Amino acid sequence: MKSRPLALIPGLAAAHLRHEWILTLCLVIALAAVISPLLVLMGLKHGTIQTLRERLVEDPIFREIRPAQTREFQPQWFESLSAHPGIGFLTPTILPLSSVINIVPTGQSKAELLDLIPTAPGDPLLLENNGAIPMDGEVVLSSEAARRLGVQAGKEIIARVTRSRSGKSENAEIRLKVAAVLDSRAGSLARVYAPLSFVLDVEAYKEGYAAPARGWAGDTPEPYASFDGAVLLLTEPLEPIHKTGLIINTGFGRISDLPLDKASALLGFPVPGQFTAYDLGAPGASITISNLKAIEQKLRGQTRLLLPYALNISLEHNGQSIRPVGLSLDQDQAALLGLPPSPWGAFGQNLPKGKLLTSVLWPQKEDQGEDNQSIQVSSSGIHSLNFPLHITGTSTLTSPVVPVDLMGVLRTATQRGVLFNEESGRFEMSRGGYRGFRLYAQSIDHVPDLYHMLKEEGIEVVAEVEAIERIRVLDQGLGRLFWLIALLGLFGGTAVLVASLYAAVERRRRDLGVLRLLGFARRHVFFFPVVQGILIASLGLVAGFLGYGSLALAINRSFATELGQGESFCVLPQSYIVLFCLVTLILSGLASLAAAWRATRIDPAEVIREQ
Amino acid sequence: MATPMVYLENLTKTRSQSESVFELQVSSFAVYPGQLIAVIGESGCGKSTLLDLVALVMAPTRVAKFQVSSSTGTPHDVAKLWEQGDESKLARLRRDHFGYVLQTGGLLPFLTVRHNIGLPGRVKGMGTDEKRLHSLAKRLGVVHCLDRMPISLSIGQRQRVAILRALAHQPQLVLADEPTASVDKARARSIMEDMHTLAREEGVAVVVVTHDVDLIYERADAICSFETTQVSEQVSLSVCQQEQVK
Repeated sequence: MKSRPLALIPGLAAAHLRHEWILTLCLVIALAAVISPLLVLMGLKHGTIQTLRERLVEDPIFREIRPAQTREFQPQWFESLSAHPGIGFLTPTILPLSSVINIVPTGQSKAELLDLIPTAPGDPLLLENNGAIPMDGEVVLSSEAARRLGVQAGKEIIARVTRSRSGKSENAEIRLKVAAVLDSRAGSLARVYAPLSFVLDVEAYKEGYAAPARGWAGDTPEPYASFDGAVLLLTEPLEPIHKTGLIINTGFGRISDLPLDKASALLGFPVPGQFTAYDLGAPGASITISNLKAIEQKLRGQTRLLLPYALNISLEHNGQSIRPVGLSLDQDQAALLGLPPSPWGAFGQNLPKGKLLTSVLWPQKEDQGEDNQSIQVSSSGIHSLNFPLHITGTSTLTSPVVPVDLMGVLRTATQRGVLFNEESGRFEMSRGGYRGFRLYAQSIDHVPDLYHMLKEEGIEVVAEVEAIERIRVLDQGLGRLFWLIALLGLFGGTAVLVASLYAAVERRRRDLGVLRLLGFARRHVFFFPVVQGILIASLGLVAGFLGYGSLALAINRSFATELGQGESFCVLPQSYIVLFCLVTLILSGLASLAAAWRATRIDPAEVIREQ
Repeated sequence: MATPMVYLENLTKTRSQSESVFELQVSSFAVYPGQLIAVIGESGCGKSTLLDLVALVMAPTRVAKFQVSSSTGTPHDVAKLWEQGDESKLARLRRDHFGYVLQTGGLLPFLTVRHNIGLPGRVKGMGTDEKRLHSLAKRLGVVHCLDRMPISLSIGQRQRVAILRALAHQPQLVLADEPTASVDKARARSIMEDMHTLAREEGVAVVVVTHDVDLIYERADAICSFETTQVSEQVSLSVCQQEQVK
């Protein structure tokens, strides 16, 4: 058997502690009295912060970022934002006023006015509040809405959308199924959540437009014609004083003399010599029918021609660029210019109906259009447009002639979204931007970043950033407080241990001397106090955790009414416990070093004869 | 004669306490296997110092030769070990070859008698021979005390237990420092006799420090005595002489 004195030290140290059990017990209690409150404090800090955080994490309200103002958001904006990291859910919304809808539970007559909110797959407000994402033909109700309507999930309701158009009140009705009713946590307002497409149809209907997919009648949003300027042709030149007076309050900003050759170039046909030409423009703005009408009003009684023009409008046909001339003349106007009248009539309030808008007079000398009834052309703008031009006759000019309205529409298409509907053969304004959004961050930690990013973009937003920040600040504050108290506690506990272990060595000098005499070396007795320190700390930890456990239980019990399922005010994660034990044991080891050093200094010859 | 277990030559130990200086000089000291050596002298003559030097817990100030030999191995140069400060090696010599009986037993108060007795054996790394221990305890009349704590024993019992502990791990040399100082004469005689008899039987050499000459004189194989002179007001000198009696 090999001699291993070091292996005997723990047993001897433990025997010594057991022998002096009253002193040991006092020490253990002293340590537990430091450890228990520290654990409780740590548990309280962790528990409260975690509870507060979990409450935030659980409720999607705290992940929501709401726009604080109504403004227009382009579809592209939604596209780029939804690609941003940290975005959990994003859907456009419509104007708040357009979103009010009448809901009637089936079999009743009493209607309720409710707020209609768009939703889409992944909407956390619905999914995390016991809801479901409504399909087309379904809605989800907030608890208040369901209460007012007196319906539950699975029931049918009738949605009635009303509008007044040209003085008449109209309405459209649709049957919808209640897919789910949300928990009251989702908000106290009476709200109806429906797919975005339905909400947009409701909005369009309210604005007077049709929703063909739902069989709702109405207008199609027609684009208006806009121009860069107009050429005024007069047989009598204007007095200089009248010249500037002419454009006041008309929306035009500029009037200048125009040599006839330049007028011919602008208009695309030779202007007869008896006219004096003026160029009317509105730098930086668009000219519409109302501006032209204002001028006409002022020149009433004079022989005049007011011809709007659009610059830089060209069409593509079979890879070739065509620069059409826009001309809409009635009989009298045509006679003044020496041109044939336009088959589509004069330029006026309304666009030419049906195919007249896309009619073209093709120049005689070119053969390509002669056999065909129509040619396909394209033009560029916000959206590129592809549409047919219907050849209705031959042009006396060298360029193809189209209604000036078409030129105006194509010019509008360079500034606003205009689409060509092949089915109806008409141009339509495409939907502009949306008037708001519903945005949820992936987690509460993403909220501040997104919040600040949107603010930097100049978008006023509202979010529960403060609540999130508050918890962070509270966490930091409590953390600092905890460390202060912990420092004090650890200092005190360590001091107690240092003193007691040192005193124990002094008290037991003779015994340690005898151990040396019996063959233990200095380096062996070194570990006698170290082992004792660790043993006492371990016992202190056990007692401390017992104290903490019972106190934590009491605290959680007494706050049980304030807490939800699975929530606790005082709780410690396992990693903290392991760390705490480790730190305590290391500290106790360090605390025993003074005593250990003292133990090695004992000279057996000096102590073995002490009584 | 065989190799001495402990042999030292021309040793000087100087101890100074505040202003007084005490010097012990030993021209030669030897312990042969199985011998009983009595160290006799008045208090303050340096007999405890001699014992501590032999027990390897006190470093000599100067020494010409200092050897500890086991029955089998080569002699260990203690003078060199002290010089090198090889405390671990000295501790090993102590636990392997020596047993101790202190004035008041020197039992560890936090261990039972049985564990006290077993400790030197365990430190040495040999198992406790329970049977031997039991018969020794019986011989010393402490067999009923084995599972008690030292505090509950009488002083005489403690000394017997200390003797038992000193012998239990089969050392070659037992060092006893006034083992009978705290008991009455009759009991002292009986304790001394027991120790002597056991040592004889086990073939263990014993060095006993005592101030009571009568107690040991007829049994000792050799006697160390001291001659103390006051050299000056501060300096006192003690010279130790060892003489063989038998």
